[in-house]
Amino acid sequence: MLGIEVRERPSILKDRKKKYFRKNKGNYAWAYFMIAPTLIGLFILNIWPIIQTIYLSFCSSGDFGKFIWMGGGNYVKILTDRTFWQATVNTFLFVLLSVPGAICLSLLTAGLLNSKIKGKALYRTIYFLPVVAAPAAIAMVWRWLYNKEYGLINHMLLFFGIQGPGWNTDPGIALASIAIVAIWSSVGYNMIILLAGLQNIPKSYYEAADIDGANPFRKYFSITLPLLSPTLFFVIVLSVMRALKQFDLVYMITGIQNPAIRQTRTLVYYFFERGFEMDDKAYASVIIVFLFLIIMLVTWFQFIIQKKWVYYN
Amino acid sequence: MNIKHMFDGKINDKMVYGFLIHTILIIGAVIMLLPFVWTVLTSLKPLHEVTRIPLTIFPEEIKLENYSLAMATLPFINLYINTFVMIIARIICAVVFSSMAGYAFARINFPGSKILFYLVLIQMMVPAQIFLIPQYLIVAKLGLLNSIPALIVPGLVSAFGTFLLRQFFKALPSDLEEAAILDGCNQWQIYRRVMLPLAGASLSALGIFTAVFAWKELMWPLIVNMSMNKMTLSSGLATLIGHYETSYPVLMASAFIAIWPMLLLFVIFQKRFVEGIALTGTKG
Amino acid sequence: MKQKLILFLVLAIALNTMAFAGGQKEAKSTVKGTMAISYAIWDRNQAPGMQAIIERFEELNPDIKVSLEVSTWSDYWTRLEAAATGGAMPDVFWMHANHIRKYAENNMLLPIGVRVKADPDLDYSNYPVGVTKVYEIGGVNYAIPKDFDTIGLCYNKRMFEAAGISYPDSSWDWNKLLDVAKQLTNESKGIYGFAAKASNQSGYYNIIYEFGGYVLNEDKTKSGFDQPETIEAIQFWHDLIHKHHVSPTIEQMADTKARNIFSSKKLAMYTMGSWRVTGLANNEVTKEVADIAVLPKMRTRASIYNGLGNSIAASTKHPEEAWRFVKFLGTKEANIIQAESGAAIPAFKGTQEPWFNFRPNFNLKAFVEMLDYGVPYPTSKTGPKWVKFESEMMLQILSGKVGVEEGCRQIAAETNKWLATEK
Repeated sequence: MLGIEVRERPSILKDRKKKYFRKNKGNYAWAYFMIAPTLIGLFILNIWPIIQTIYLSFCSSGDFGKFIWMGGGNYVKILTDRTFWQATVNTFLFVLLSVPGAICLSLLTAGLLNSKIKGKALYRTIYFLPVVAAPAAIAMVWRWLYNKEYGLINHMLLFFGIQGPGWNTDPGIALASIAIVAIWSSVGYNMIILLAGLQNIPKSYYEAADIDGANPFRKYFSITLPLLSPTLFFVIVLSVMRALKQFDLVYMITGIQNPAIRQTRTLVYYFFERGFEMDDKAYASVIIVFLFLIIMLVTWFQFIIQKKWVYYN
Repeated sequence: MNIKHMFDGKINDKMVYGFLIHTILIIGAVIMLLPFVWTVLTSLKPLHEVTRIPLTIFPEEIKLENYSLAMATLPFINLYINTFVMIIARIICAVVFSSMAGYAFARINFPGSKILFYLVLIQMMVPAQIFLIPQYLIVAKLGLLNSIPALIVPGLVSAFGTFLLRQFFKALPSDLEEAAILDGCNQWQIYRRVMLPLAGASLSALGIFTAVFAWKELMWPLIVNMSMNKMTLSSGLATLIGHYETSYPVLMASAFIAIWPMLLLFVIFQKRFVEGIALTGTKG
Repeated sequence: MKQKLILFLVLAIALNTMAFAGGQKEAKSTVKGTMAISYAIWDRNQAPGMQAIIERFEELNPDIKVSLEVSTWSDYWTRLEAAATGGAMPDVFWMHANHIRKYAENNMLLPIGVRVKADPDLDYSNYPVGVTKVYEIGGVNYAIPKDFDTIGLCYNKRMFEAAGISYPDSSWDWNKLLDVAKQLTNESKGIYGFAAKASNQSGYYNIIYEFGGYVLNEDKTKSGFDQPETIEAIQFWHDLIHKHHVSPTIEQMADTKARNIFSSKKLAMYTMGSWRVTGLANNEVTKEVADIAVLPKMRTRASIYNGLGNSIAASTKHPEEAWRFVKFLGTKEANIIQAESGAAIPAFKGTQEPWFNFRPNFNLKAFVEMLDYGVPYPTSKTGPKWVKFESEMMLQILSGKVGVEEGCRQIAAETNKWLATEK
């Protein structure tokens, strides 16, 4: 089984396979059986709440679940909501600041850790640490590293004679500061997935390329990247989704009573403010619906262009 | 970037490349570690040292009381057990259900597979906060409030895991099933005997991620389990933040107490993980 | 490897079952003949005090077991709301001015006023009128007051001594405070005389009333932010930062809270809520150098006060036991226990003394004295909605991005908009 190589398939096998797959009800039965637990669970625990949220967005808020249908009123209201649009801009900006950086760095580290150097296990552990740490702890520490007066970062900058800015409080930088923490905590995460993907590329391809005398760049771009692309696709789609849903870091690092919140407020943070702090769940649901549509569009777009660059064999 | 193949012949190149790689990795490692090291250093200092300007790097005075204070405030043993049980249960569910579903979506072209797969993805397209109250109500209806099983509910199924495994299975050579088909295996047997053994690396990755997501979960344990001894480490730590707000060292000590078991576990299992990859990695 | 996995599985299932069984048990009566009720609170600092009260109660009532559930401020309300929606509320729990109307008007709370009035051992006149009133909706009482909190002036004794200035006292007004703050400020060393915080209850609300302005009018139909006195007060607060430079900036206080700047010995004075006393006492720096004084006056003397109440869920399965517990919580004895633990200022008249003795080196009496000038914390049914706008606009005002008068008018307009929806 493991010795299968890519070669020309006799057409007899092709037909047989087609026959096997075409109308084999047994296959379909197995398929449904295998997806059943996941789909049932997802429906009850997740899909139904999503439907409820969409319904809620067309209602007016009531206490303790007593929502009254009201039509598109919330949607009209949100069009003129400056905070909402600012939050949208902030969210997109955050994606641009954090995702490309995180992906490149994790590609780099995964590649480096796939090589034949000593101490790989140690590096792997170290790079994965930020992922493992509790978000509350991470926020605490970074918030404090960023402190303008007591923080370690400005303290170190002082050695070079640079007066560090208010990483947390300067509206011009605050979002970037959060993006840095986001990159820091996600490099290890993406790296592990990419590493698993790299490990699954059969060595035989490289050996064949060596026989042909290919140089390292050629090997990377003709073998590694294409065969890594399904995994890379996965990592990119997920990273973008996660970045669009950013809440924790804003909540814990920017915090309350910080004038920079206007520039760091993401859509989910605004949802939280409206839904939980201001007790207006119906209006908050509109934000979710909007975010959901954006994520759907972005993801669908990514799935479409995957045909151009993702290689499934 | 399969660097080992660059090592043919020239010793000089090998050393240069190795040195370069290590330099980059070490710089990255320092950045990764810095906040943790800072946490530990701060946790050992007395308060006045922590807020002094200019900063001290190493504690001038070591205050281990910070740790005993932190330990006294939370029932850490209960928190460790709860967290551990929750993680194991979720890993089992994720690995079993997601690999089944991932395989089916990737390798079986059944009617509706595309739509149903997008349905799976939908779960990841909304912020998890909207699931809080509906799931709470379900748990309440089942009479499972304030219990360990309640902690497991959100992790019973995993859209993320399904997506991950689907990508993995799709990347395998398309003729992998051929031999099994010729032998007359049905889909389940193909899954169990051909596909699953190859998925070691991805399943390990999934296991680790499930563990990490579960570990980090904050809001859910806080609202579904009221008693302190039914909470998890992350949420327990969160309740401490309001309490010790002005005592950074104690806060850092608690943060460290909350992190280190996970670190240790990861270090231990990371080796297995590496071995596992090594075993399944050699394919012809 | 496989064997280890199996071992794990077995262990996990075993632990799981044990824990599951344990969880179910707690939900029902543990010992034959005892009823179990739950008491939900949100402040860790007060947990030991509450536990002490519970133990005394269980001594006197061996047939009832009370389990204490502690959350944090933020998730307490999320949880209570989910529980209310799902019919799984705790039996007894703390109630707060911000939420009382919502819970009362939706019949989530047991109306206990009738019981209190019928009971010879209880009397609402034992508690501060303002706090009792908070929990009276539509003429019906839904809680027994548990405590009250006021705002005072916290200052660093050593800094005063070093500068040869006498401690703040009841003769002070805000101009005097400004004067002293200027003397104590040393910008080159990063030391400030006073913190003009962006907090409302423990910050600018107090000065608004002292200047003769108001946040909400008596019948809560209008915002007071466009009153000239209010604007004057906010201008004064703003000037502390931007004109006189005696206060850290809003950005600085966003990075490091005022109380942390204080405990780093970089701040001489700030306004503080009495609920922070335990924190002050626990911090190794402040427990030596801090002390409390009454707030300075202006045209009048004022301090925002508030109080928590103990309520019973309307859906409780144990109304009698819950009532007995809530009744005990309202007695003098329970209030004394509360005072002794330093948790909060007990509501029951005359029981505050043990609270002073909690930390005798602090002049905690000042907090209780301020009750005589207390202004109930201004909020309304739509409070959570307009207070959010107000807080954010105040941030812009105090960081100098929006003019004081312009910002205050916007706050008034927005608040009035929400108030109009209430009746």
